[in-house]
Amino acid sequence: MGRVFRNELRQIIHDPGVLLFFVALPLAYPVVYTLIYNPEVVRDIPVAVVDNSRTAASRDFVRKADASPSMEVYAYCADMAEARELMAESKVFGIMQIPADYSKNLGTGEPSHVEFYAEMSLLLRYRAFVSALTDLQLEVISEITGERIASTGLESLAGAGAMPVKSESNFLGDTEQGFASFVIPGIVILILQQSMILGITLLGGTSRERRRRNGGIDPQDPAGVSVLATVWGRALACTVFYIPLTVYIMRFIPEMFNLPHYGAAVDYLLFIFPMLLATAFLGQALNVFMKERESAFIVIVFTSVVFLFLSGLTWPRYAMSPLWIWVGNCVPAVWGVEGFIRINSNAATLPEVGTAFLAMWILTAVYMLAACWATKYIDVKSRLRYGRG
Amino acid sequence: MADLGFIAGMRREIRRMCSRRMYFFGMVLVPLFIGVFFLSILDKGLPEQVPTAVVDLDHSTMSRTVTRSLKAIQVIDITRDCETYDDALAAVRDGSIFGFFVIPANFEQDALAGNAPTLEYYSNMTYFVPGTLAFKGFKTVAVATAGGVVKQTLQSLGLSSESISDLVQPVVIDQFPLNNPWMNYAIYLCPSFTICTFVLMIMLMTVFSITIEIKEGTSPQWLAAANGRMGVALVSKLLPQTLIFTAVGLFLLWLLFGYSHFPLNGSLGWMITATVLTVIASQSFATFICSVVPNPRLAFSLTALFGILSFSFTGFSFPVQSMYGALAIFSWLAPIRYWFLIYINIALDGVPLYYSRLYFAALIVFPIVACTMLWHLKKACLKPVYVP
Repeated sequence: MGRVFRNELRQIIHDPGVLLFFVALPLAYPVVYTLIYNPEVVRDIPVAVVDNSRTAASRDFVRKADASPSMEVYAYCADMAEARELMAESKVFGIMQIPADYSKNLGTGEPSHVEFYAEMSLLLRYRAFVSALTDLQLEVISEITGERIASTGLESLAGAGAMPVKSESNFLGDTEQGFASFVIPGIVILILQQSMILGITLLGGTSRERRRRNGGIDPQDPAGVSVLATVWGRALACTVFYIPLTVYIMRFIPEMFNLPHYGAAVDYLLFIFPMLLATAFLGQALNVFMKERESAFIVIVFTSVVFLFLSGLTWPRYAMSPLWIWVGNCVPAVWGVEGFIRINSNAATLPEVGTAFLAMWILTAVYMLAACWATKYIDVKSRLRYGRG
Repeated sequence: MADLGFIAGMRREIRRMCSRRMYFFGMVLVPLFIGVFFLSILDKGLPEQVPTAVVDLDHSTMSRTVTRSLKAIQVIDITRDCETYDDALAAVRDGSIFGFFVIPANFEQDALAGNAPTLEYYSNMTYFVPGTLAFKGFKTVAVATAGGVVKQTLQSLGLSSESISDLVQPVVIDQFPLNNPWMNYAIYLCPSFTICTFVLMIMLMTVFSITIEIKEGTSPQWLAAANGRMGVALVSKLLPQTLIFTAVGLFLLWLLFGYSHFPLNGSLGWMITATVLTVIASQSFATFICSVVPNPRLAFSLTALFGILSFSFTGFSFPVQSMYGALAIFSWLAPIRYWFLIYINIALDGVPLYYSRLYFAALIVFPIVACTMLWHLKKACLKPVYVP
């Protein structure tokens, strides 16, 4: 096993293609991703205003809307047609129309209906609009209601009457509701798994090519080692190789970019160990499909997108059909993402993510067996196919 | 004679494609799987019924009314009644709930006495979508509760219920989410992610089929079959693939707009045109990379890295307008960015073709740019060197 371990490390270090995925990718990707999402929140989304009232009251309303951090009045339009034109040109992503009787209704005490049209290409923008508009409505209402109650002569109510019950919203984990803070802790775990699988399958495909040229035997494999020792030796080599990268990704990336990092390092590093091991075995099992080096790219790369969705980061797992929950359960990173997010962002402890921890150990055992079978199968089949006798 | 070279090249390529299962896997199976996968995983449209909890510290008539309203709304599902704040927080940490609503002790008494008690709600934003939905549900109930208490107080003072509602709701902002009033996540995620994965596979398969010639040392024969003309050799190699990808692309469009009835407010013809142009632009992009670095390892790595990053910087979720300028530039290098913008304009928003003219033009630029580096690819093909 020691020989396999050393041999595997040597192969990793001498293959620039593998090093790219084992080192450069885990080092660079988390930084690139964080930079992409680092602006965190969508601010000052341009909005067109169609003010049919054109009164001091309606202008006051628009000023309040403009003051919201989420939106910015890009233009005043004469009518809806002009505003729609701006939206078609993607210059504005929302249109606010104030009715002609806005000011009059405020005087007579009838309710006014302001209309807001949101462009729906990105739900992040829509979400920003909804929350800004709700705040705006509350602000305007409490001001007007306060004035009105005062004018009805029930002054005693003016203070408390406007808001007899207060409410307070608190955000857990990603307290700033930033996009990077939400997405990066999950993505980095996927990067760990996917880069390791890509590296292992690249090595596997290359070894298969050597077998084809050398009568079914890979001359670089140490001879006379049992299947179990081969599989463990390779898995441990990859896992050991990944330990410094894992520390970098889990500990320093969140700190460097000031993303949430509430968890204890002991908890998440212990937690992730079975994921690395399970991934190292999974990669070896997938080698069955790697007939050549390039297969790795075609078979593995697109699965990152699939695993991203299965992890529940974009779409919660409770809303998935049992089939996809079950498929997700078979992916080490799905558990890894779930557990790390809870530890990192919600300060959960290792026992609190016990289910995920246990699941990854089960996957480790399952994929170890699968890797043994795959290694044996590749060996027997190559010898039969390319062997000289 | 050029004609003959072209047909011979096509024949040669079709034979190659039939000889390896990898072609069928990468060109047909994966894109079809992805199309079905996204539709199937997002089939609920909106992940309502977010598991949440209520912490009722008051146990009064009024607090039970609040709990009932929380249980009545669609977006959240109160799966637990927690005794304390700490219990609820532990449930958030172990993942069984995504948020909770706290009704303080003496709530009813304080509300009626005008002491303005505070309803607190906690949404776990580490999962964005459920966190946001929980927040929305909690806020609705909190605001409605406040309104209800105002009404009750004013009614007790003798005001009619009609004048009360005018008093409490003097201004209403009606929101109209255009073209996706259901806020359906599938409409928003499926088309972009499906086609982006499709584009990724087009690029990888193009790199595969070009660099395999260099790797196996067959590139001189490939060129010879086209009478030594790189352009003819490439077209004869890639055109059969263009046809297959187009067929797959049309099927994906049918899955989205036909089978799933996603909004198609503009012309289907232009969406088909955009998809065909995106197929060609993606092939051109990959050809360009192969020409600049005619080495399987580097070409594959670059294409894969770019293809995966393009899911992010194309701005499907986080708008390009809000990214740092230096990164936003990359979005314009990706063919999928233009498909996405055309999809938004034509299919989702249904604005006239005029507003998408530049995006169509950009897609046409890709093959032109690819042509500029063919001389370098030809050099590499004449003397194939394989570095693993």
